[in-house]
Formats: sequence, structure tokens, C-alpha cells
Amino acid sequence: MGLAVLFGIFGLGLFCGMPVAFALGLAAVGGFLYEGLPLFIGFQRILSGVSVFSLLAIPFFIFAGELMMQGGIANRLVRLASSAVGSVRGGLGVVNVLSSMLFGGISGSAVADTSALGSILIPVMKDKGYDPDYAVNVTVTSSVAGIVIPPSHNMILYAVAAGGMSVSKLFIAGIVPGILMCLCLALVAYWVAVRRGYPAETFPGFKALGVATIVALPGLMTAVIIVGGVLSGVMTVTESGAFGAIWAILVTTLVYRELTWPAFKLAVITSVRTTALVMLLVATASAFSYLLALYRVPDLLGNFVAGISDNPLIILLMINLILLVLGMIMDMAALILICTPIFLPVAVGLGMDPVQFGVILMMNLGLGLCTPPVGACLFVGCVVGKIRIEQAVKSILPFYLAILVALMLVTYVPAFSMFLPSLME
Amino acid sequence: MSPMRAAHHSSGKTDVEHELEHTARGPVYRVLAALAQTCLVIAGVQLVTLISIFGWLVWGRYVLNDTPTWVEQLALLLVVWITFLGAAAGVWNKSHLSIDFIREMMPDPLRIPMRWIAVIAVCVFGGFLAWQGWTLAEKTWPRNIPMLGIAEGWRAVPMAICGALTVVFSLYHVGELARGEYKLTGEL
Amino acid sequence: AEWRGWAIHPEDYPNTVAMQSFADQVAEVTEGRITPTVYANGILGSQPDAIEQVRSGALAWANFNMGPMGEIVPATNVLSLPFIFRDVEQMHHAMDGDVGQQFSDALSEAGIVALSWFDSGSRSFYNTKKPIHTPADVEGLKFRVMNNDLYVQMVDQLGGNATPMAYGEVYQSLQTGVIDGAENNYPSYESSNHYEVAKYYSITNHLILPECLCVAESVWEGVSDEDKAAIKEAAMDAAQLQRQLWAEREAKSLEVVEAAGSMVNEVEDPAAFQAAMEPIYANFISAHPDLESLIKDIQATE
Ligand code: NA
Ligand code: NA
Repeated sequence: MGLAVLFGIFGLGLFCGMPVAFALGLAAVGGFLYEGLPLFIGFQRILSGVSVFSLLAIPFFIFAGELMMQGGIANRLVRLASSAVGSVRGGLGVVNVLSSMLFGGISGSAVADTSALGSILIPVMKDKGYDPDYAVNVTVTSSVAGIVIPPSHNMILYAVAAGGMSVSKLFIAGIVPGILMCLCLALVAYWVAVRRGYPAETFPGFKALGVATIVALPGLMTAVIIVGGVLSGVMTVTESGAFGAIWAILVTTLVYRELTWPAFKLAVITSVRTTALVMLLVATASAFSYLLALYRVPDLLGNFVAGISDNPLIILLMINLILLVLGMIMDMAALILICTPIFLPVAVGLGMDPVQFGVILMMNLGLGLCTPPVGACLFVGCVVGKIRIEQAVKSILPFYLAILVALMLVTYVPAFSMFLPSLME
Repeated sequence: MSPMRAAHHSSGKTDVEHELEHTARGPVYRVLAALAQTCLVIAGVQLVTLISIFGWLVWGRYVLNDTPTWVEQLALLLVVWITFLGAAAGVWNKSHLSIDFIREMMPDPLRIPMRWIAVIAVCVFGGFLAWQGWTLAEKTWPRNIPMLGIAEGWRAVPMAICGALTVVFSLYHVGELARGEYKLTGEL
Repeated sequence: AEWRGWAIHPEDYPNTVAMQSFADQVAEVTEGRITPTVYANGILGSQPDAIEQVRSGALAWANFNMGPMGEIVPATNVLSLPFIFRDVEQMHHAMDGDVGQQFSDALSEAGIVALSWFDSGSRSFYNTKKPIHTPADVEGLKFRVMNNDLYVQMVDQLGGNATPMAYGEVYQSLQTGVIDGAENNYPSYESSNHYEVAKYYSITNHLILPECLCVAESVWEGVSDEDKAAIKEAAMDAAQLQRQLWAEREAKSLEVVEAAGSMVNEVEDPAAFQAAMEPIYANFISAHPDLESLIKDIQATE
């Protein structure tokens, strides 16, 4: 009955278009009142939900990504990718994927990736004769790679929700699956481009490629700073996020000289907004999950899923399906916080490593970011590409399939995610 | 989502048109918009502070071998402030993530009450945030945040502020609904 | 009535096992009038949050470490003074007697009824560089400490660099060299896998923090005198069980870490470490003159 109150308020709130974070909070309030528990405990949970050390990396990485966008790092990365593979037929599609791999790897945010690369690449693609729906499809689906390729603030959320696992291990585990995903997407992008008869760019020559590389180098160094700073023992993963931001400020003001005062202010304010949206979700979700824990929901659901079949392959497929469906209707951060305590124990019970499960969760929910009805990346992509959602979705299926293939490979072949982290030991 | 916002904005109007619209909306609108903007600016300063003190932390530990012991706790406090001030501005700008396509597909007799419910529910939760934020601040005031030596209650203060602003902002949205001027997206 | 209980450790941990045995015994002796349940792994919140929940009666009972209790019940900070107890045995004597009663009284002013005292062993330093024999060996090393000014002062007094850090970041920080060491008891040194990356464990026994098995005062008031006596007895039994399981766990952990190549050493002159703490005691007493007699009582305990 208490659960009915909790999910009833939450569902009704969502249905009426209430912000997800507020619906979670109000549902928790209802639950506390129904249980006769002191209300302040729910709000205490909201506060402690945000006061978590590892979550500090979220504003850091968001800010770093925003600075790279405003300060001209992002478009140099695009130029580099374009000189490298632009000469392939449908090359701009492949460039788009490759840029996501580079930029998403650094920014850690799929939505930032979509809006940054989308606003640079989609107009260029349309200009060169690519259909708008194709341009949007490629941009949106490849941006999901940024969630899996480190750094990724969603992975940090997962590490917290999983009860504190090694973030660096998770990050490293995401590298191969992220590249795998980009590979699948690049193949599809190439295939569709050939079928539609899109043009190729001319190869600018090795000299131009070299120049593009050198110009992009200080930007690429951000990744080196982050990884190198951690491996050399100068700083922790969390601290490296702050240094990524500091480095981005230095590069964009001193080297590129593109980060003007208004651009800097815009980067700060945008980062504050994005941070607040994500963190408020974390906050109210922790009041919500207090009640889930009190009602022992994770145990119940875990037993339910495990009761459907005792075949690990089928259970994993079930979990993938549930996550995919949830990912279509809900936002990623909230889902990570709600689903991790429910499904992680089931996966671990099947002998899966929590790190591998984390990667699977990211890929699943990432796909949800580009599916209607609720897909932040899809929305942003359509806004940037100036097309309607139906128009984009009409031709997006092959791209979903590419991600699904990568997802299945990572689900059933642990080596894709676990080989690199196993080298750490 | 902020990037969506940015995209909206770029397709928008000239500054003069913005200015005219603000004037047309009257003094209440301008005061509230200024409040939301103030929240963002304060939170922005806090974000820059957050980055800077982490620079100091690494410098102190790695170079001076004398770790500033207050950084971690101050950072946790700052991030709470950034979250709640930013969240309050998010209410004003209607930028919190929500699923409104179901509602917007509905026929008028359903859609209009659903909009009312959504806006009022946000207002109600804002009221709880303000009340409980205040209660928590009072309750934890006698206790200090370790390593900082300031009252634990400072952590709950931004929640109370966010709650109060949420109430005020969503009351304005109620007014918009009543006048039939409600828009799905706010302005920057 | 259901009594919801808070535990920070996993289900198989000595404390949690003892709590479950307390729960079973209470349900039995009260013939089901009171049925305590255990929510393990800290799923209902961090310790400071759980303390507030017990004080408000939302949680009926819990097992709290006295370290983080200091911000809420200042008297318990005495237990965080480095080297306040000579050894674990003395801590048991003190807490089971008059000293324990003084802490119970202080806790009950905050709405927490302490029924019995658990053990969390004694904490010592471990690091990645070298065995620590004298205070001079600590000089210049970065040690992670918990967020309490007394622990920071302790490392500072020994000439080290006290570095507060989230527990989850410690393993990697030891591995990459962000910090040189940390401090904890054997079971945590083992279960956190820190022994894999920091192999010098030097027995300083600088912190011996008791834990309480406690009930919310608002809940306790509603219990009949007869049940109170039976519950109290169950709590004492649980404490006996916990201490025994804890000792076994410590022995097992020590075995594991030594088998994995950890170098465990006794310090040469414990008195030298204690002597370095004098300024901390002086500061503490001048800030809390009312607690001086409590400190004297502990030191006077056999
Ligand atoms: Na990334
Ligand atoms: Na989605």
C-alpha cells in the first residue's frame, strides 16, 4: 500500500508533465506521510544525497566540456576528424561518429556532445548534400558513445549508486565498448551514405592533416591531463575533473584565445544549470530510494526477475529489455539511481562483474537518450537540425541496430568491458 | 536541458524585442526574472570557487605537502548551494527535465487540468522544501561541519531558499495559466 | 511492534550478525511484542543521518560508532582522543563500568539509550613506504584520516601530513601515490583491500573506538519494565557475541594480510607516540574543562 502511494504520486506527477525531480520528491513526501515517518528525514536524505564526494566530479566534467565548447576546442576536434576520414564516401557521417568519440570522450555528456557537434556538423552536412534526417540520426546516436567513453559523469553516478566502486576501473572498462559502439555506428553511417549516394570530400593531404592535428593538440591534451594526472599520483579522479576545467580555461584563453569574457560567463551559467538539473534529480531520488529500501523493493524485484528464468542469458536479456523500455520514458540520471540497486544484485548473482554491468547499464540507457518519446539527445538533435522528431525517427532504425549489436556483444562477451580493467590488477 | 535552451535562444528575437517583452510583462515578471538570474550568478561564482579550491588542494598536498583540510568539506557545502540555487532558477526557466508530450497530446479538457496539477504540485513540493529546509537548518544549527567549524545548518539554508523561490516562481506560473498565457518553455 | 534497526556493515560482519542475534532474542523473549529488524549496508543513510533518525524515533535502534558521534554528543569526543585507552581490554573494562555509564548518561540527553558496548578493535597506521617504529618515521608522510579535527591534530603532532579524504578514494590514492598511508583496524585494512597497495602495517593502537548498541529514547519509553530488563539482557548477550566474533575476525584478517605479504610490526616505544599527544589533550581540556574528570576516570581504569 505504501508502495502504491509512492508510485501513484510519482506516476501521476510524471503523467501530468511535472519535472521528474519534483515528482520523485513529492512522491517521497507522500510516502513519508503515509508511513508516519518524520518528514525531515526525507529532506535530510535530499541533502545528504547531494553531499557526496564522488559526485563533485559531475560539475567539474560538465564545466570542462562547456568550456571546450565555448572556447573553440570542440570545433578543432571536428576539423581533425574531418581531415582524417573526410575522403571516405559518406565521410562526414563517419567524421561525425569519430568526433563524438573524441569530444564525447572528453566532455562526458551525450547532450553536450549532441548540441556542440550537432551545431557545428549538421549545417555542414546539409550544405554538402546530406539529408537532414541522416545528419541528425548520426549526430544523436553517436553522441551516446560519450557516456561510455571516459570520463562520464553518468558512470560516476552509477559508482555511487552501486555503493562506491572504483570509478577509474569503470572508466577504463568503458573504452573498448565505446570504440566498439562507434565502429558499429560508423559502418552503418557508411552503409546508409553509400545507399543514398552521398558525396565524399577530397583528402586534404597529409600536411593539412598534420596541421589539424597540431592545432587540436592542446585540446586533446585535456584528456592527457586527466588521465596522466591520475596515473602519476598527483591527483584523484575527482580532482582531475577540476584540473580538466582549469586546463580548458588555460588553453582556450592563452592558446586559442577564443574564450572571451561573455563566452566564459555563458559556460559558467550553462554548467550551473546542467549541474543543478542532474544534482536535484540525485537529491530527490535519494529520498525516494530511502522508501524503496525501507520496503525492501530491490530484494523483491530482484527475486521477481530471477524467478522468471534461471538461464543467465535470458535474465540478462530481460534486464536489457526492461532498461531499454524504461530508458525510453525516463531520464538517464534518475534511472541510474533507481535501477542500480534493483538490478545490480541480480546481475552479480549471475556472476557478472559490477563493472561490466555498469557499462551495460550505460549503453542501455544511452540508447534511451535517442529514442522517443523521451530522449534528451534526440530532442536536442532535432532542435539543432531543425527537423521534426517523427522525421528523424523514420530513418533512425539502422542506427539503433548498430548500438544494439554493440550492446549484445558487451552483454554476452565480458572481455569487451573487462579485459582492460583486468590489466590494472 | 540547457543546450536545448541555448538552441531556442539563438533562433529568437533581437535585444530590443526582448526588452519590450519584459516591459510588457510588468514589474512582477522583471523582479522574479532578476531573482532567478541572481541565483545563477551566485551559483556561478560558487562553481568557480569550487574549481579554484580544488586547485589549491592539489597544490597544497602535492607541492607544499601540507593538505588544506577544509577543502573537501567546503566543496561538499558549495555543491549543495550550487544545486539548489541552480534548481530554483530552473523552476523559473522551466528547464527541469519533464515528460510533457503525453499531456500535450491530450484534448483540451484533459490537458488544461493536467497543466494546473503539474504547476501546483511543483509549488507544493517547493513549500515542503522551504518548510523542511528551515526545520533542518534549525535542527542542525548547534552542530558544526567537521573541519570547517561552521554550523551544519548552512547546508540546509539553500534548500529553504530554493523552496521559497520555487513557491514564488510557480505561483507566477499559476497566474500565467489563469491568464491563458502559459508557455511550455521559459526564457533565458 | 516492528523495530527498524540501522547497521552500516554488510550482513556477515560481526556487528551485523550480533544485531541479528539481538533481534531474534528480543522477538523471542518478548513473545513477538517487539520484533526488531536489521537494515544492513547503511541503506537507510550515513551514520550522522541515522543518528538523527534514531533521535526522532523514525529508527528504533542502531549500532553506532562513537567517532562520528562527537559532533552531536560532545562528551563522546573524549573517546576520539588518540591513545585514550591503553588497549582493547581496558576499553572493555571502562565501558562496562562507571565510565560507560557516564557516556550512557550523555547519550541519553541526546535521546539515545545505550544498552551495551560493541568493539571496533584498535586502529593503527599503514602505509606504502616503510614500517613505522618511532614518531620520526611518520615525518613527511601523507596520511588519510577521518573528518575529525582530533585525528588531523594527531597526524600533525607526529609530523605527518593529515589528509581528509572520502573512504572510497583511498584505495586508488594509495595505489597512485596521492597519499602514503591511512589508518584503520585489521578487518577494514583487509576488507577494503588496502593491504594490496599499502603493505606496512605498524601497530600504534592510537584509536580504540567503542560502539554502542542503542535504542531510541522515544521508543524505549513505551516498553514495559519487564521487557526492558529482557531487552537489556539481550543487548549484553549481543555485545558478548560481537566481541567474540570481532576477535575471531581480527585474527582471520591478520592471517589474510600476512599471507598476502603485509609486514606487520610493533612500534618500538608506544610512550613516545603518547607523549607527542600532550598538546592535543591540553587543548581539548581547555576547550572542555567539564570533561577533564571523565578523561581522568578512563585513565584510572585498570
Ligand atoms: Na565520456
Ligand atoms: Na529516452
